[in-house]
Amino acid sequence: MGAFSLITDSERRVPRVVVVGLASCFGCQLQITNAEPYLTQILGQIDLQYWQLVTSEDMPDSYDVAIIEGAVTTRESEETVRAVREKAAHVMAIGACAVTAGVTGMAAPGLVGRAAEVYGDATPDASGELIEPRPVSAVIDVDSEVRCCPIDPLDFVAALQRALFGSNRSPETRTLCSDCKRNETECFFNAGTLCLGLVTRAGCGARCVNLGRPCNGCAGLSPDANLKAARAACETYGVSVSDFDKALEMFNQVNLMET
Amino acid sequence: MLYRVMDKRELPKLVRAFMEEYEVVAPVKRGGGYIFDVIESPDEIELGYTQTASSPKKYLMPPTETLMKFDAGMNLVEDFTEQVTPRVVFGVHTCDINAMNRLDTALIGGKYVDPYYQARREATIVVGISCVPNSNCFCHLWGADEAQFGYDLFLHDIGEKYLVSMSSVEATNILEAACEISEATDEDRIAFRQATRARQSAFNKDIPDVQDVAMLMDVFHSDPFWEELGSRCLSCSACASVCPTCFCFDIRDVLAPDGKTGERQRTWDACTSPGFAAVTGGHNFRPTGRERVRHRMYHKLNGFMVNHDRMLCVGCGRCVSACKTGINPIEVLQFFKRKGADHAK
Repeated sequence: MGAFSLITDSERRVPRVVVVGLASCFGCQLQITNAEPYLTQILGQIDLQYWQLVTSEDMPDSYDVAIIEGAVTTRESEETVRAVREKAAHVMAIGACAVTAGVTGMAAPGLVGRAAEVYGDATPDASGELIEPRPVSAVIDVDSEVRCCPIDPLDFVAALQRALFGSNRSPETRTLCSDCKRNETECFFNAGTLCLGLVTRAGCGARCVNLGRPCNGCAGLSPDANLKAARAACETYGVSVSDFDKALEMFNQVNLMET
Repeated sequence: MLYRVMDKRELPKLVRAFMEEYEVVAPVKRGGGYIFDVIESPDEIELGYTQTASSPKKYLMPPTETLMKFDAGMNLVEDFTEQVTPRVVFGVHTCDINAMNRLDTALIGGKYVDPYYQARREATIVVGISCVPNSNCFCHLWGADEAQFGYDLFLHDIGEKYLVSMSSVEATNILEAACEISEATDEDRIAFRQATRARQSAFNKDIPDVQDVAMLMDVFHSDPFWEELGSRCLSCSACASVCPTCFCFDIRDVLAPDGKTGERQRTWDACTSPGFAAVTGGHNFRPTGRERVRHRMYHKLNGFMVNHDRMLCVGCGRCVSACKTGINPIEVLQFFKRKGADHAK
């Protein structure tokens, strides 16, 4: 993944950055503030022109790096990300909602009628024209991602630096279990307990498992996830396959619909 | 090999003597299993363990380590040598001692020495312990059921005593200063012989002992078996994480939040990771589970043998329990056994 081209131009300038929020809980934008000890250092590397969480102003007309949180759930947000793509040299999706559609994506199957279930006949205009929730990458090309729900603040800092300065690090596609082996934590399957690490992309270091909780798949399915083999493993270890499929819907509903 | 006999009740004295000068790591209980970990007291050691989740490899080649530091602002590079802790790895089974010997061959035995590994290996005292195989163990098939070298002390359990094989001056001095040791009696010699017999007969006989495995790997290179085995791969690399002889790694630069300073890290990688054989331009030389699983088995059961006269696999059996879809060398041996059956097609 290379740094965006502007940084190498002869007329170097401090990269202008915007942070855009779509359908989400805004928790990932909030996580950025949790990189508190480093915020001043980071702000010294960029020209932060817009941060949706902290402003009522409109977005500027031009910028270099766009950071997008949240899923695309309306025609309007679809237009927003298209416009962002035209302006930004580098688009970064942050958080499960932006990367896999996440929790937001659970609404995708049978979307028609969901608004009526909530609002009856009076769906407010502010809801926009609802479309099936989808990750940002389903609408535009995305240059980089920060996975998980919520994002890790330092993962975000590292991703931003990769966008600014380039990196010799390729994105991980292996699934989580090897991290548990490195951490020498016990496998939940040995106790007949469901864990989504079998198919979830590595990168978080298996932090939930380290805290005694099974993986719930917030990093999203690996592109190399082997669902068939994982279902067979469930059967071998006495874990319900339908529970496995159901659990995957929380963060991978849209992924599953594509596979 | 020089050997003496020591009463088992002397063992805590030996451990405490090591603890005075070294960090001591040993098998301890963790959850329902065992791991190698730093101990504070000899009481924590579980010498009756069958198998630890991962091997002591992590003390010679940590999952992630710093190779150097840099300052892009000042254009400086600082060769970085992490503090190497003088350490005793206590209670190592023969499979893991043989695994260290194989790592030595790969990392310090060739033309290009890995200085990071070498520094740790040289600062490590290895104390072996005899064991009784569990149902996943097949070290005897690769001659890894005996530790011929690569340890400082080896404790053979002969009932109430240990027959101690002494291989280094450093460890022997500590043993002699700390513990009552004596010459072996004829009774001890018989007890040792009986222990080795009992061990030899305890291996799982359902694991096939197949002749010419390395050659069979070549002969059946294109068999549909590899498609079946590889199609089960979850692409997690759990096998490589627990493997005592997987030594492949990735190198990456990690910037500090200031965007100027950072470090070059080495981190474990594995040929079972989907991107391992991907190259610039996007081509992946091993794009599917079939190629990746086969490649891993080849290195373990063929490639290393061809170059170094021994299997890279030491038959520790860890991957047998780590892999949730049952991909392991025993499956390969079963496949060869089927191919050799009277009615095989």
